[in-house]
Amino acid sequence: MRCRVLHLVAGLLPVFLLAGCDKGAPPAAPDARPLRILSLTPNITEILFAMGLGDKVVGRSTYCNYPPEAAALPAVGDTMQVGLEKIIRLEPTVAFMVTRRDDVPKRLEGLGIRTVKLQSDRMDQALESIRTIGRETGRPEAAQALIDRIEADLAAVRRRVAGLPRPKVLFAFPMTVGSSRIMVAGRGTFVDELLTTAGAENAYPEKADWPTVGPQQVIAMAPDVVIINATGEDAPPDRVEAIRRAWQSLTSVPAVARGRVHILTETFLTIPGPRVGQAARLLAETIHPELHAEAGKVSMGWHGHAPLRGQELPSYRAPGHAPARGHATRQSDFALSSREGGRS
Amino acid sequence: MTPRPFTVGGYVLSIATWLSLWFGVAVVAVVVGGRLWAWDTRLQMENVLGLRLEWVATASVVGAALALAGLAFQALLRNPLAEPYILGVSGGAALAFILSSLFLSVTLAPVFGFVGALATVAIVYAIAQRRGRLEPYTLLLTGVIINAFYGASIMLVTALVRPEQRGDIAVWMMGNIGAFGPQWGLVKVAGGLAAGAAILFALLAKGFNLVAVGEDTAGALGVPVERLRIVTFVVASLVTGASVALVGPIGFVGLICPHLLRMILGPDHRRLVPAAFFFGATFLVLADLLACLWEGASDRALPVGVLTAMCGVPFFIYLLRMRWRRSAEIR
Repeated sequence: MRCRVLHLVAGLLPVFLLAGCDKGAPPAAPDARPLRILSLTPNITEILFAMGLGDKVVGRSTYCNYPPEAAALPAVGDTMQVGLEKIIRLEPTVAFMVTRRDDVPKRLEGLGIRTVKLQSDRMDQALESIRTIGRETGRPEAAQALIDRIEADLAAVRRRVAGLPRPKVLFAFPMTVGSSRIMVAGRGTFVDELLTTAGAENAYPEKADWPTVGPQQVIAMAPDVVIINATGEDAPPDRVEAIRRAWQSLTSVPAVARGRVHILTETFLTIPGPRVGQAARLLAETIHPELHAEAGKVSMGWHGHAPLRGQELPSYRAPGHAPARGHATRQSDFALSSREGGRS
Repeated sequence: MTPRPFTVGGYVLSIATWLSLWFGVAVVAVVVGGRLWAWDTRLQMENVLGLRLEWVATASVVGAALALAGLAFQALLRNPLAEPYILGVSGGAALAFILSSLFLSVTLAPVFGFVGALATVAIVYAIAQRRGRLEPYTLLLTGVIINAFYGASIMLVTALVRPEQRGDIAVWMMGNIGAFGPQWGLVKVAGGLAAGAAILFALLAKGFNLVAVGEDTAGALGVPVERLRIVTFVVASLVTGASVALVGPIGFVGLICPHLLRMILGPDHRRLVPAAFFFGATFLVLADLLACLWEGASDRALPVGVLTAMCGVPFFIYLLRMRWRRSAEIR
C-alpha cells in the first residue's frame, strides 16, 4: 500500500507518524524521531509483536509477559501506577494503553510522548485498536493483515460449529477464597462474543460486564457446560482439584451432572489480542467435544504461519500434564462419560 | 432486673430457651435465605438447602465463637471495650491467611490463619507479661498496637500485589459467610473448638465473676487469677483464629453480643456464657440472613462483616459515652 511505498522510498529516513487516531484526537504531527513504542497493556503488546513491531517496543507494563521476547523488555508499571522516571529513561515516542482514565495519558503527553488511548472491551473495539496502532505507527498494511488473519481464524471456528447445537455455557473464573461469589462473563463482553463464535449461548442471561454470581444463581442459570479459566495462582494441580471439588457439590447443574465442567489453565482466553482465534477454537473444542473426532483431519497449521502457538508454551500448562491428543489445552474435566474419560 | 437464684433447673431451662431461639432463627434463615419454595426441581432445592445449611452452620459457629471470645476478653481484662477484632487476634489470623493464600497455598490458608492467631497470642503475651504477670491494660494496649502493625502489613501486601488480587483481599477482609465450595471440615473443626470453649468458660464462670469484683478479692478467695487469665486468653484466641480462618475477620460481634446480654441478664457469667454462645450464633445467622436478602433483592453481595461493623461502631461509641457518664466500668 501507499505507506509501504513511502517507507521503501524513505529508506533510512525517520518513520512518520501518520495523521489520525481515536475519535476526536488531534492529528499527530510528523515526528522526526525514530519510533520507540511503550505498551502499557498486555493485549496491545501482543498486537505490536504480531504486527512485526516487536523491535520497536522499548517498554511494557508489569503484566505484559507474552510473547516471551516482550517479557525481556523493561517493565514500567501499569496504567494505574506508572514509573515516570523509568519511562523517561526509555525515551518512548509513542505510548499505547487500554484505559478509560485520563491522568496517566495526560502525564505522558506532558512528557512529550504521544499517547494513544484504546478500548478493547469488545471484539470490534479490539480490531479498531489494531487499526489505530497501524495508523499511529505507519504500518496500516500490517494492521490490516493482522485483522484479516484474526477474522479468518474466527470465521474458521464459526464454520466448524455451524449447524451444531448451541449449549448454554457459563464462562467463569475460579472462586476466590472466602467469597461465595464467582466472576462470570456477562453478555456483551469480548468473551461472550468468543462463546457465540465457538457455537454456544452465554448462560448468563443479561448484558453485564463481568458480574459476580453466587452458587444459587449458578443453580438457577442451569448451564449445560461450565468453563472455568484458572490462571496464575489458580493453575497449580492442587488448586484445580479444589475448584473441581467446589463445583461437584452443585449436582443439580446440568454441566456438573454430565461431567461438563472444564477447567482451562490457558492465560490467553480473556486477552483480546492476536490469539483470539486460538481462544475461540479452544472454546469450541471444549464446548463441542464432537469436534475432537474431526480434529485429526484439520490441518494443524491452521493459522497459516503459526502452528499451534499454545504448544510452544509449556509455561501455560502445569508441569506433568501433556497436552491431550495434540490439542493446545490441558483440560481438567471431571467427566466420567466414556468420551471424556479416556482423555484426561 | 431482679437477681434470681441460680439453680440447675433454671440453668437447663435457660440453655433450652436460648437453643430453641437459635434453632428457630436458623430454620427461618435456611428457608427464607434459600428461597426454598422458588425452585423448579427437587434436586435444585436439595442443592440450595445444602448450601444454606452449611452457611447457616458457618454463621452459627463463627457468631458463637466470637461472642464467647468477646465475653471472655471483657471479663478477663476488666474492660468493656476488649474484643478479639480490636485485640489483634483477628488481624494476626488475617495476615497469615492472606500471606499463605498469596504466596504459599490457597488450600492451606485456613491452617495458616489459625497459626497466625496463635502466634499473635504468643507475641502479645510475650510483650505484655512482666515476670509471669499479665497486666490487663498493658495487654489491651499491646493488642491494639499489634493490630495496628498487622493492619499496616496487610496494607503493604495489598499495595504490592496485582490489582485483581487487591480486590480479592479487600473482599475477604470484609468478612463473608459461606464459600463457593463446601467446607464442612473447617466448620466442624471451628464448631468443635467453639463448643469446647463454651464448656470450659462455663466451668470458669465463677472465676470470671470473682475477677470482675476485683482481682485481689478473687485471689483472696482462692481464684488462681494469673492462670485463669492465660487459659482464657489462649482459648479465646483459638476460637477467634478458627473463625477468621473460616470467614475472614468479622468485627464487633464479640462486642455487641456480650454487652446486650449483660443489659438483659445482668453480670453473672454463669448465665452469660451459655447465653453468649447461643445468642452470638443467633445474631450472626440473622446478620447473614439480612445480607442474603439484600443480595437477593439487589443482586449485589453485602459482606456480613460490613453489616456487623456498621452496627458495632455506634454501639462502641455508646458504650464509651455511657462509661464516661457513669464514671464506672460497665460490667
